[in-house]
Amino acid sequence: MNYGPLVFLGLFLTFASSWIGLTVLPQFQLGGLRTQKIEETGRDFPDAVSGSAAQGREVYRADGCIYCHSQQVRAADFGADVARGWGKRRSVSRDYLYDKPVFLGTMRTGPDLANIGLRQPSVEWHLIHLYNPQITSKGSIMPPHPFLFELRKIGRAPSPDALKLTGEFAPPRGYEVVPKAEAKNLVAYLLSLRVNVALPEAPLGK
Amino acid sequence: MLLYLIILAGSFFLLTGSALLALRWALQDGQLRNSEKAALLVFDEEEPLGEVTDAFPGAKADPTNLRKPGSLP
Amino acid sequence: MKTPTSSLFRALNPSDAGNTAESKATLAEIDGSCRRPVLFLFTNSLLWLLGGTVLALLASWKMHSPGFLADWPWLTFGRVRPAHLNAMIYGFSSQAAIGVAIWLLCRLGRVPFMQGGIVLAATVFWNLGVTVGIFAILSGNSTSIEWLEMPGYAAYILFIAYALIAVWAVITFRFRREKHLYVSQWYLMAALFWFPWLYSAANMMLVINPVRGTVQAAVNWWFAHNVLGLWFAPIGLGAIYYFIPKVIGRPIHSYSLSVLGFWSLALFYSWAGLHHLIGGPLPAWMITISIVASIMMVIPVVTVAINHHLTMVGHFKQLKYSPTLRFIVFGAMSYTAVSLQGSSMAIRSLNKVTHFTHYTIAHAHLGMYAFFTMTMFGSMYYIVPRLVQREWPSARLISVHFWTTSLGVLLYIVPLSVGGVLQGLAMNDPNVPFLKTVELTKPYLITRSISGMIIAVGHVAFFWNFAWILARRLRPYEPPVAIIAAGLEQEVKAGLAGDI
Repeated sequence: MNYGPLVFLGLFLTFASSWIGLTVLPQFQLGGLRTQKIEETGRDFPDAVSGSAAQGREVYRADGCIYCHSQQVRAADFGADVARGWGKRRSVSRDYLYDKPVFLGTMRTGPDLANIGLRQPSVEWHLIHLYNPQITSKGSIMPPHPFLFELRKIGRAPSPDALKLTGEFAPPRGYEVVPKAEAKNLVAYLLSLRVNVALPEAPLGK
Repeated sequence: MLLYLIILAGSFFLLTGSALLALRWALQDGQLRNSEKAALLVFDEEEPLGEVTDAFPGAKADPTNLRKPGSLP
Repeated sequence: MKTPTSSLFRALNPSDAGNTAESKATLAEIDGSCRRPVLFLFTNSLLWLLGGTVLALLASWKMHSPGFLADWPWLTFGRVRPAHLNAMIYGFSSQAAIGVAIWLLCRLGRVPFMQGGIVLAATVFWNLGVTVGIFAILSGNSTSIEWLEMPGYAAYILFIAYALIAVWAVITFRFRREKHLYVSQWYLMAALFWFPWLYSAANMMLVINPVRGTVQAAVNWWFAHNVLGLWFAPIGLGAIYYFIPKVIGRPIHSYSLSVLGFWSLALFYSWAGLHHLIGGPLPAWMITISIVASIMMVIPVVTVAINHHLTMVGHFKQLKYSPTLRFIVFGAMSYTAVSLQGSSMAIRSLNKVTHFTHYTIAHAHLGMYAFFTMTMFGSMYYIVPRLVQREWPSARLISVHFWTTSLGVLLYIVPLSVGGVLQGLAMNDPNVPFLKTVELTKPYLITRSISGMIIAVGHVAFFWNFAWILARRLRPYEPPVAIIAAGLEQEVKAGLAGDI
């Protein structure tokens, strides 16, 4: 049976239809989204990350944080995300307007991070947690990231940045653990993650 | 929003419609006749129908499977 | 009849069409001509299989022992895990798929392999691209876009390689000597047509000139799911449709059903991708369409399952005697299982529990390993001896390979699925502290590592046998030991000569 051209047409159409339906049409619908001005603060939402947080985003990307962490809050009636305090409302498309790439994630080996900047605003906590998650979260299976830090001899005086580590996690005598720029940038990025702003399409509480 | 639904619904019906039309054409044109012959395309003179063609090394093919060559198992 | 090596010009020149009405090539000619290109692809793919297995074991171990080799950024889990995925998908699976497709297209087209230079160049580029890509991921240059982690420069190299394969496929198809098409050829040609479009569209819209915001997520999962459904699944199904009848000597039960199965797959599979984003920040209509398409997938899946099953009925005892059949039938059954499971996972109430959990990972391995990889193993067991005209050196290594991988993957999937469901249920209970959801998965992560080690043994056994059979080829020619029983061979020859 040699109906090659017809088969080819069929393959083309079925495929083209899904390409149009699932990528082109969404682009038409969502490509026009703009920021929303927030009454209370007068600022635009969402804000593109810049400076230290933007660099921290690159660390998040390079070290594959998405393979354990999601950044999307599901609706209050679909899972326990809102009940867990992971967000006051579900995430919507506009929250990701400036993200390149979008870090939605598909695994929750670790908690969702869409609002981690609000949930855990302590720079020190994050630095220690990144250095060795066991310190702040015993039993965690998140890998330690010692390579984001520098173990060095204490100079004339201890660095103000040095992590306050005790017990088995403390560095050897005379040494200190100081975060590298990547660690600080990553934490700045994490602290920028906050989306608890009401939008017309997403009121709080849902 | 409505526009997208129209485009989508439209393309759905268009696609399904053309698929069904193509199927009707194929049936009328006899494309799907003799399909059982096509199923025999994996066999030929060298490896005919009825012949088992794989075995563990050093072993015979299923010894219970010997039959007149060319006949269906 | 000499194997023709037509020049590229001749190959593309339509006036040469007349010459192709030649007599069909013999199997020996076809197999002999395929030897170098297909073995080159298989060798590379198995090397990536071994490397990808090491990365898999590392990633798995790190999940329950996070401090393991954690000091170096190159080995941090977040890089090892995507390196494993890309090594397996692009390094192992795709090259195995292309090698199997080449042999099947030559066999079914009854035409010897031609244009070796194209495929050789393609294979070299492909491996270069994957190597560059894996290196990039481990050194911190991953895009962090799932299934597309290799950065743009690696993707370009892969695309060139792919384009060369596509040119080869079109030429071979054009100059085939058996004009009638078998179902496997539709599946294979479809996959070879769909993949470059998928790959280039995704790279353009996500890596080179990214679309805005969550549209990226839609493109991402349209792509990733279609790599499964429109690249790997059709090639796997094409192989199964060929090898089951070929091994047992009996045709596919219902050819008409295979037509239905093929077109319903083409229609529905490509729309299902957004089920990866159920509950996520995308307009409801797109998610719903994907859910509907995912459920509709039951049609092609059940069609194919009925066809394969009714072909095998009465012949299951052949599994005892044929290595190829064992792997292929295991793969075929896994295809049915993973697809029906996938359809169920698209239902919102189940998705609410299993999304974001290890259940999804178990499902992914039921698909890519228990279905696709086992099907590729079965195909290689059939093809390689015919390429090198030698028998597999060790039946025992084949047995080891089969039992370790089949039982190993079951040990992977079942406990991890249970763990995933428990994890999801706990996560949906706001009174369960998050660390508790992690704690309860640990035993299942450990069984996963154990299963990985068992599977690794199987891979080593297979690679050993493969290297050994290649080495046998280098020895002076030995009359090939009959693949079929000597007695039957005599009978066949006599029968064909009309003596029986």
